[in-house]
This record gives sequence, structure tokens and C-alpha cells, in this order.
Amino acid sequence: MKNRAQVVIIGGGVTGTATAYYLAKNGISDVVLIEADYLSSGSTGRCGGGIRQQWSERMNVRLAMRSVQHFKNFENEVGQEIEYFQGGYLLLAYTDDEVALFEKNVSMQQSEGLDVDLYTFEETSKKFPFMNLSGMKVAAYCPSDGHANPHLTTFGYARAAQKMGVEIQTHTRAESIEVKNDRVVAVVTSRGRIETGTVVNAAGGYSREIGLMAGLDLPTESYRHQIFVTEPLEHILNPLVISFEHNFYIRQTTAGNFIMGQGDKDELPGHDITPTWRFLKEMTAKMPRFFPFLKDIRVLRHWAGLYNMSPDAQPIIDKSDKIEDFYMAIGFSGHGFMLAPAVGEALAEWIAWGEPKSVDISNLSLQRFKHGFTREKNVV
Amino acid sequence: MDNLDLLVVGGGPAGLCGAIEAARSGLNVLVVDEGVVPGGQLVKQTHKFFGSEEFYASVRGMKIATKLLDDLGSYENARIVTESSVLAIYEEGIPVLDRRSDSVTLYRPSSILFATGASEKFLQFDNNDLPGVYGAGAVQTLMNQYGILPGNTVLMIGSGNIGLIVSYQLLQAGVEVKAIIEASGRIGGYEVHAEKVKRSGVPILLKHTITKALGRDSVIGAVISALDEKWKPVPGTEREIVVDTICIAVGLSPSVELIAQAGGEIKYVAELGGYVPVRDYNQKSTVGNIYVAGDASGIEEATTAMIEGRIAGLNIVKDITGSCDIDRLNSLHQNLDKFRSGPTSSKTRTGLKKIGSTITEIEYTEGEVNRPESFRGKLRPLIECYEAIPCNPCETSCPTGAIKVGKNINNVPVIDYSLCTGCGICATKCPGLAIFMCQERDDGTALLGIPYEFLPLPSRGDSVFAFGRNGEVVCSADVERVVKSPNKTNLIYIRVPEELVGRIRHLGTVVSRSRDLVCRCEEVTVEQVRKAIRDGYKDFEELRRYLRISMGPCGGRTCRLNTLMILSREIGIPVEELSPGMMRPPAIPVTFGSIERSGAENSDEE
Repeated sequence: MKNRAQVVIIGGGVTGTATAYYLAKNGISDVVLIEADYLSSGSTGRCGGGIRQQWSERMNVRLAMRSVQHFKNFENEVGQEIEYFQGGYLLLAYTDDEVALFEKNVSMQQSEGLDVDLYTFEETSKKFPFMNLSGMKVAAYCPSDGHANPHLTTFGYARAAQKMGVEIQTHTRAESIEVKNDRVVAVVTSRGRIETGTVVNAAGGYSREIGLMAGLDLPTESYRHQIFVTEPLEHILNPLVISFEHNFYIRQTTAGNFIMGQGDKDELPGHDITPTWRFLKEMTAKMPRFFPFLKDIRVLRHWAGLYNMSPDAQPIIDKSDKIEDFYMAIGFSGHGFMLAPAVGEALAEWIAWGEPKSVDISNLSLQRFKHGFTREKNVV
Repeated sequence: MDNLDLLVVGGGPAGLCGAIEAARSGLNVLVVDEGVVPGGQLVKQTHKFFGSEEFYASVRGMKIATKLLDDLGSYENARIVTESSVLAIYEEGIPVLDRRSDSVTLYRPSSILFATGASEKFLQFDNNDLPGVYGAGAVQTLMNQYGILPGNTVLMIGSGNIGLIVSYQLLQAGVEVKAIIEASGRIGGYEVHAEKVKRSGVPILLKHTITKALGRDSVIGAVISALDEKWKPVPGTEREIVVDTICIAVGLSPSVELIAQAGGEIKYVAELGGYVPVRDYNQKSTVGNIYVAGDASGIEEATTAMIEGRIAGLNIVKDITGSCDIDRLNSLHQNLDKFRSGPTSSKTRTGLKKIGSTITEIEYTEGEVNRPESFRGKLRPLIECYEAIPCNPCETSCPTGAIKVGKNINNVPVIDYSLCTGCGICATKCPGLAIFMCQERDDGTALLGIPYEFLPLPSRGDSVFAFGRNGEVVCSADVERVVKSPNKTNLIYIRVPEELVGRIRHLGTVVSRSRDLVCRCEEVTVEQVRKAIRDGYKDFEELRRYLRISMGPCGGRTCRLNTLMILSREIGIPVEELSPGMMRPPAIPVTFGSIERSGAENSDEE
């Protein structure tokens, strides 16, 4: 392992590896990425894999649309097939409040050039005949949304970054960050000390802990979110379907498995990722009401991961104003995978050129929490 | 037939050697043998012999029989009659029944060499007359001489050399040996023979006996029981073992009936197997013109039987012609004494003392200079021969003189690694399969050469299971090289993590070729796994996520270990040090419906 690097990235998830990849592409390959466990072992490898552009905040829509451009070219550009599938996102509205919100969002999203539209109950039923949509009032459908395999995406970025000279050290835990005169001096790991002036905190569920190592009190908290996968079936479900009202999302992978999950309002912050029986029981009771064919399929695996939540449920992509060259891409609130290409690109440009070039991320700064802020509403 | 100088009763190793010595000096010799093919036990012995190469060490028994028969066949004054039995010893002559013509011929030889061999001891237990209960000799005859398997699953009773060797031969024939049980507290046979069966996965249960054979028409199982200090079965320790064959190898008794009829004195000597003829240093019985040799004169093994036969033959020549090759006789005596001077012959020495022959125990030296670790990286043999067996083919086959056993054949071999060229000949010659080849590499792996006598032979590039000393699966390994040897002890070189070199001693069933599936649920092949590892996926979880291994309905039950073994082999880290990855719930696939219908424990609902 190198004992000196221009940049040290903490976190071998999709954000860390994407940042490493774009750093190398921007000419900075003297980079060491450290990962406490194995690549994609944290939130990335546990997520649902959805890629959505339908956000309630305009800047998020732009960031997501930029990401989709990258996902579309991923195989060509990065050299790894990632099971990318643009089957759309179907958001179901059941209440009048939701209908009003959807109408507002869709018009904003359309003004950004997104191919999103609202569908009536009849239109939706006709388009997706195998679902039980009773009670649904309107649906927002964006066909260029989709999903991909988060593991393969992470591995793709990692291998491509390695080929350009980035060093990736798995099973290497950050133990402390040495700071002198408000500058990072070194990252001390379980396998040795790496001198560096620039650190990227891409530690997902542990972003706050990494911040504290440098004396920064970052406003993120982690919450357990559970998810499970069924045995594979013939491919019948193109879109990833979400209901905020009924608290679920579901998608079918290109391999045929259904992946689904829900949020849990009773979760307390922490790092416990033990799956629970209650979750399985609630989901298996709930989901066949909307997807009757699920009743007889079998659950294969059930696991949990962490949502690293920020106060407004939007990511924090910033550079610390207290410690020189301490960057962070944290608090993704369950949406890190889908934003990673654009975020990695922006962050790498920031480090390499002093500012993000490809996309505006100024709305995602830490500063926003000092003033009033609007919570992202499109979150499961 | 009146001008018969020598009648040899029994055409095994002792009888044939005696006949050869007599025929070489021009005596008229007739060998009478009961078998369809002469050669005695040799013809069913598929294993390599211990001893010195001068006396056919490292040659398989059946080949020795051919050599001896060819040798005897070159003398016109010698004849063998097969399928014939000596009926009795009368003053007027010796009637020999030819079973093919069902007629008897009376012979009046000037001298007789009894090389009648031995019969198997039998064991008393319930139902010991059930079909499926065999003596080890019968199993060898059926299997090795006639190519008929005695059964599919065997319980072996007795851990002497015969029990161990026959177990190994059964394994070679594809028969499952469920266990070897041994009444005493230690393994009776050579350590190297025991190691061979142990690493093939056969447990040896000491202080155990069989109490009952199960079955009505034939054996369907056996009840075994532990024994206490007084050799009594311990109540409550009975266990049933499902087998269709019970093989008894609890020892041999010299066949002395004809010798006793001829007037030879016999004496009970437990160390020699039972009643043995009293005989002198030159194998002469208490009756002037009657000699004995081989197991008939005390249970030992084939090398000493052959030497005894030759000693008897030369003395008969001397009796009849007045002289014989004395130098040769003396050298045979010296060799025989040397063979018997080691620690593995202490029982024989005690027994011989009881009938008046004394052999001094010779000090033997322990292997001392075997320090393989100081020659790390060099391809070289690891010699695991610690028992002071009278045996030296490793020494005599070494082309560079690196291996020394020395004057006393009982010495433990010593190797000078600086002279060794790593040719591996010693490993193919060693009758105990106790020599392994090893070469450490820089990448944490090592090349391990294992002497292998099973079929099918793996090919280069195959994946095999690597077994430890007790037959436990240690890892899987790739075959790098197969060196075929004319004596059929082939050397299979496999690549294993270096730290497992001391543990792996056997290999087995071909597990996979590169196109074979590792993960059947997700249809992932060996080659895909290997490629992924080479591409940098060196963690089970990374492999799982990259290739979908273990993501199917089996949850990794079938593929997890196989994947870890491939990973271990590719990156040179033992399986036990690798992370096994996540074991996600549920343990078996379960439908939405069944979870939904579940109720709470102790609840009246639903």
C-alpha cells in the first residue's frame, strides 16, 4: 500500500469508486481508495438499484438527468455491463395531496426536459395490466428512469480506476485522520498511514464517524432500511413502481428476481443492519395486494442496509469550510447509487479544477442547513 | 516317479524360490500347487513390496510371481503342477491329487520343502456364517485375481498389514470401506500403510470389535462395539454400520498339518502365528530331509519368505550333491538377519527365539538430516518414513545418491537435499507411498507431488479435491502435472496454498473442469469464477455480487464452499482464513403466502 497519495477516498461504494474513476479521468491518478470491508459491502451493495429522475427539487432532477446520461454510456465508457434497464419509474398517487404534488412536480420536471407524464387510472391499468391499482388516482411515469446492478457499477468504476493507476485497498479501515493547522495531513488506516492533503468522505452509513475523525460534526444519521429479493420469474415488470402512500418500491431485475422494500418510520438512528421478521411479514402481506402474482413466489434473501440521512433528505456534496481539502459526498438518504455518476464526476472536477464543471451542485452544500431548507418529498 | 530330488509343496514365494535354487543346481524339482495359477498370495498382491530391490522391493506382488515363474520355467528339470493337492505324507510316498483329472499320483522325493503358507484366522461373532462375511484372502482372490468385487461397502476387521493393504485395494477398486476396526490399542500394520488408508478417508477405530453381523440371507450391516481394558465389549457403545461385506483380517496361522504328519516337531509360538514347525537356522525341520520355508514356518512377509525359500533350496542342494554356493548362502543369511533386526520385526525375533533361533537386534539410526525447510523453493521430496521398516528402494533408485538408508536396511532414510535433483523417482518407488514432492513458489502457493494409485488418473488442468491426512477435504486444487510411472505409482502434481503442504496427502474425485458449473442455480462456471478472481474479485462477497454466485434458491449451500475452494487455490490463502460471506435469511426459500399466513407463537389468533 502506498504511504503517500494526492487524494485518499474513504469508502469503496459506488460514490467512492465513481469519484476515483473521475479523478483518474481528470488526470489525478495518485489516489488511494480505502474500504473497510470489500467493494460494495455497505449501502451500495444493499440498495434497490433504482435510477430515477423524478424529484421534487429542480436541482436534484438535473443531477439525476446527468447521471442517466452516464448510465446510458456506462458499458462503452467504463467497460462493464451493469444490467442497466430503462424500464421507467411508475409513481402511484393515492391521495389528493399526492395528486397535487405530482402535478406540480411533473410540470417542473417537464420544464427540465424530462420525458415524464401523468397517467389516469384507466391509462395506467391498460399499460400495466398485471397490477391491482384499485384506489389509485393518478400515476407519474418516466420511461427513461430505470435500474441497474449496483455491484457491477461499483466494480466497473473500481476496475477502470485501477487501470488508470488508482490504488484500491479493501479490508482497510480508516482509523483516524491527522489534521494540522486546519489541513489534512494523513489518513491512518488499519494497514498503515497514508500521507495526503486531500480526503474524500464517501463513507455512506459511516459518514458522520469519518467527519468526526477530522473534527467535523456532519449532520447525517444512519437508519436501517430492509429489502428482499424473490426467486426469478419471467420478465413482466418493466418499471420500478413506487407508492409513497403505501410505502413500497418494487422492481424486477434483468435476471427476473423481484426486489422490494419499504421505509420504517419507527426506526431509530444507528448502524444495526439485522433484518427483521416484522418487515418480512408486513411486506409479504402488503405486496400481493398490489401485485397478486407475488402470492405464490418465494422469498430468496432478505437483508438490510443503511440510509445515510441528511436533515432535508438530500445529499450533501461539499468541501468543508473548516478543514482545507476535506470533501464529502454523504447523506444520500437512500439515493446514492442513482446519483453516483454525476456526483463522482462533479466532485472529481472540483478536486481537479477547483469547481464542479459538468453540473451545478451548489444546492447540496452544507451551508443550506444554516438557513431554512425544503425537504425532498419523493422519498420512500 | 522315483528320481525326484525335491518335492516342493506350495508354489508361493517361498516354494518358488526354493525350487529355483534347487533347479539351478540341476536337481529334479516338482512344485505342487493348489491354485489355478501358481504364485501363492503373490498373484493377488497388487501392492508394491517393501525390502531391498535385490529381493523385488518396490515391485508389485503379481509381477514378482511372473518373474519367479519365468525364472523357474527356464529350467527343464523343474515342473509345476497346478490345481493339485498333497493329500498326506506316507512312508511309501506322497499322494498328490490332480483335481482336474481327479486322479492321484504317488511321488517319492529325496527331500521335501514344505512351503504350505498359512490359513486365515477366523473370528467368532453372531451370524459369522452369513454370506458376505469374507476372509481378507478371499476378498483379494475374488477382486485381484478374478476381477470380482466382493461387495459395495465393507467393514474391515483388523488393522494389520493385510487389513490395511486389502482396505487400500478395495478403495482402489472403488469399494467404500466404512471403517477398519482393531481390537487392540494400536494399529497392527506399518504406519505407512495405515496413512494410505487414513488419507483416503477410512477411519481406523482402535479398541473396537464386531459383535454381530446383521442380515437374514446376506450381510446388510454389522454391530461394532468398543472394548474395555479387559477386551470386553463396553455396553452402550454398540453401533450399527451399514455394509454388505464384512472382511476379516485378524491374522494368519501357519499351515503345518503336512509337516506334522511327516513327523516334524511342531510348537505353539504365538508370535509366529500359532503352531510352527521347529526348524534350524537353515530351515531344516526335525526330520532330516524335510525343510520348511515362508509363512508355514512362522508368519512373516513375502521378502523373508523368499529368502527362507532360497536358504532351504541351497541346503537341499548341499544335502543331495554334497555342496552348494556357500557365499550365496551366507549372504542370504546375512540379509535375512538384517531384515529381522529392526523394530518392526521384534515379534518375529521373540518367536524365533522360542524355537531356538536368535537374531540380534541391530541399532538403527533415525533420519536426521531431513531438513526440507532449509531448501525452500527447490523441488524436492518430503520423506515421511519414520518407522524403521526394512526397506530401501528410495536409496537404490536415487540416481544422484542423495538418499541414504545405509548398511542396515532398517535405518530411516536420510536425504541430502543439496544432491537432490527433484526427479521424483524415489516417490514413485516407495512401497509405502510415503514420499511426496514439494516446491514452494513466490506467490504463496506450492507445487505438491502426490503418489497416486487410483483410476481415473486426473489430467493436467483438472480440479481435484485435496485431502488431508485423515481424508478430510482441505481444499480443491488444480492439477499442474501428471507424471506417469511404469510401476503405476503415478505422481500427480497439484498447486496448493503453501501452508497446506504439510496437511495435504491425497487427492480425489475430479470435482470440476473449467466448463463445469460451480453455481447451479445461477449457472456460473469454474472458468467464470477463475477469470473473475484473476480480474481482481478476491473476496467471496465480491464474487457473489459480481457473478451472482449463491444468489439462487440454494442460498449458497452447494456453491459457497466450491467457490471458496477455487478462490483459495487461486490466491493461495487457505479456506479457513477466507471470509465465508453473508448467510442471509431466509435459510430456505419461502412464499409470500406462507409468511403472510404465519401467526405469533402462543397466540390464539389465526
